[in-house]
Amino acid sequence: MSSSIEDDEGDLTRKQRREQARAQRKALEESHAAAAKRKSRLTLLGIIGAIVVVIVVVIVVAAGGGSKSGLPTSKHEENATVAEVSKLVDGIPQSGNAIGSPTAPVTLKYFGDLECPICKEFTLGALPSVIDKWVRTGKLRIEYHSLETATREPEIFKEQQVAAYAAGKQNKAWNYIETFYHEQGEEDSGYVTENYLDGIASQVPGLDIAKWHEDRGDPNLANEVETDKQAANNEGFTGTPSFLIGHTGGTMSKLSYPGSPSEPAFVDEAVEKLLKSS
Amino acid sequence: MSARTLRIVLIVLAVLGVGWAGYLTYVHYSGATPVCSLKGDPCAQVQKSVYSELVGVPVALIGLIGYLLILGSLLVHEEERTRLATAALALGGFGFSAYLTYREVFSLHKICEDCVASAVLMTIIMCLSVWRYLRGGVGAAATAPASGPEPATPLGAAGP
Repeated sequence: MSSSIEDDEGDLTRKQRREQARAQRKALEESHAAAAKRKSRLTLLGIIGAIVVVIVVVIVVAAGGGSKSGLPTSKHEENATVAEVSKLVDGIPQSGNAIGSPTAPVTLKYFGDLECPICKEFTLGALPSVIDKWVRTGKLRIEYHSLETATREPEIFKEQQVAAYAAGKQNKAWNYIETFYHEQGEEDSGYVTENYLDGIASQVPGLDIAKWHEDRGDPNLANEVETDKQAANNEGFTGTPSFLIGHTGGTMSKLSYPGSPSEPAFVDEAVEKLLKSS
Repeated sequence: MSARTLRIVLIVLAVLGVGWAGYLTYVHYSGATPVCSLKGDPCAQVQKSVYSELVGVPVALIGLIGYLLILGSLLVHEEERTRLATAALALGGFGFSAYLTYREVFSLHKICEDCVASAVLMTIIMCLSVWRYLRGGVGAAATAPASGPEPATPLGAAGP
């Protein structure tokens, strides 16, 4: 009798052990299956993440505005830029960094960085209309001043701005500035090199390149860039483009633009107002 | 967090994204000035810049389509593949937001709060949807066999 009970207890224990072992095996299998599943999910997400990174890099490179160097890749493009810039500024008096008649009743001071893409928007968007409507007709004079914003390297900034001012020593600063903005390269790509600055200069019709090279070493031009910076700081300008406008020789006021500077309306309104009050 | 709660949170975030991107798309096409509390109105400058379009398509519209796709993937019957679709779309959206933020900071040197809000929203959606995909069908696992197809979690079903 007692032996039968012991056998029963022994059977129960064996059964329990078997069940425990089965449960442990099942739990282990489930744990392995879950780990495998998690691994495969992570792998899949990793692949998707890598694809996303590749696509973003492609977009950054492709949407970078075409040629990174900025300079035209064909003679045809170069001729088109030269023709467009010449059409805009030819026949308008230039003096140093200014374009327009010295006796124009209104002066606009344009603080820019040649590498700044928003300055490019203003220069290519609003400026052609402003120049045709007000500068060509002798009512407005525009001065270009330097304020470093987009350019990362202060030395490069000085070199490029001085390059434009050096063209101004031959009264061709605006040809240089306009051409630079037309052919502005991808920001932060390091496109502004000696070769690039020479390439812009070579597209300024009638520019004496040897003299331009010589003038770039003129310390007064580097000082002018520094003076512009001080003037911008005094006005509290932190971004480009920034503007001051007023009667020529009179007090200048800040001119802000609503949203994008690519529309000329904000300049038109300010000039009209000043002309009426003069 | 239960599967149901997580899904509802993601749906709410995606709806917010659709609304936000829809507003930015409207601003782009109408030419209206976006609401911006920052000095100098950098939002308008960013949204009207050369980087506001990609191959001629407004980035706001691309964002709107992205949010709509994410919302669509959340509204269909939930299963492994739809969770993967949401996570993949959110990863794509996150990558695109990262690209736009890069452009704001390094190309335009302007911060647009509308764009940052959308980027933050997309980042949260990405984190939650990736977590949701990696953890699988929580709640279903308790009754599901160790291997084989994973049962779906209907939106109305209460999770643990």
